[in-house]
Amino acid sequence: MGVLDGLFRRRERSSDIARERLLTVLVHDRVKLTPELLEQLKAELSAVIARYVPTVDPDTIEVTLFRGELIDHLKAEFPLRRQR
Amino acid sequence: MSRVITITSGKGGVGKTTSTANLGTALAMQGAKVAVVDADIGLRNLDVVMGLENRIVYDLVDVVEGRCRLRQALIKDKHFSDLFLLPAAQTRDKDAVGPEDMIALANQLRTEFDYVIIDSPAGIEGGFRNAIAGADEVLIITTPEVSAVRDADRIIGLVEAAGKGSPQLIINRIKPRMVNRGDMMSTDDVLQILAIDLIGAIPDDETIVTSTNRGEVAVLDRTSRAGRAFSDVARRIAGEQVPMPTLEDEQGVFDKLFGMLARRPRGSER
Repeated sequence: MGVLDGLFRRRERSSDIARERLLTVLVHDRVKLTPELLEQLKAELSAVIARYVPTVDPDTIEVTLFRGELIDHLKAEFPLRRQR
Repeated sequence: MSRVITITSGKGGVGKTTSTANLGTALAMQGAKVAVVDADIGLRNLDVVMGLENRIVYDLVDVVEGRCRLRQALIKDKHFSDLFLLPAAQTRDKDAVGPEDMIALANQLRTEFDYVIIDSPAGIEGGFRNAIAGADEVLIITTPEVSAVRDADRIIGLVEAAGKGSPQLIINRIKPRMVNRGDMMSTDDVLQILAIDLIGAIPDDETIVTSTNRGEVAVLDRTSRAGRAFSDVARRIAGEQVPMPTLEDEQGVFDKLFGMLARRPRGSER
């Protein structure tokens, strides 16, 4: 990488990074969902799902908070084990 | 109608005490009768910022515990005969007073003053709750940094939950050059995140340090940019329509050009 690359490469503005990080942190702060509570939520969800869909692997469940354009949302994913 | 206004922030060191001293003085300069109250019990500082530390005899806890009358504890300012300080106790801790004491105190001060400005301690515990207990309105101070803005967001939630309405925001220590370079969040960035009304944007200014060294407040120094910005905030508090100057305009052509080069294309910004 030459000197010119360094000069012309657009550096990501640190203020943009700050804003993005803050918005993400605040989604969690505002919902007051601590990591422990999130784990508890996952455990309870997997118990419920397992009653209806036995092919869900409890260890693969992902629950994430997302910041949206207008609203934030909580997204849960339940990958299914492939069956014949 | 007198107003009790509490200045708070969540995070420490963002300028609560400086703002209290400057806004109190600026309101007194406008001709109002003002009491500034140091509610940071055990960590008294408003007295040194205003240069009144040698005149303290009684303090807030003495008043609450009945060792003196309110008038005896109020210290007259060096410059304005209608500006008074009620100092915090230095040798006690925050548990020395409770919210009911602060409400009673605020109501007592209300009968004598147009404005009662309360300097809150940092944090979200008892001291902060005491400081907002007697308030009609709350001003939140933040700087354009992630930690300060995060704490401000938390505090806004607590102030609203306490039934104090939506607080107004002062963004302190803005460095226009850094904002233009894209290395500091702008007033708009912070406002968009916190979603409350802005009442002041204060530029970072070395005269705050030198005036605090001397125990003078910046609003007394006509050459201080931060002082002028605080005076504007005081006029807005009093209900005047004062335009919010864009701090970015104060910089030179070279900075502007540099800022444009460093900036990403418009479309990708948001």
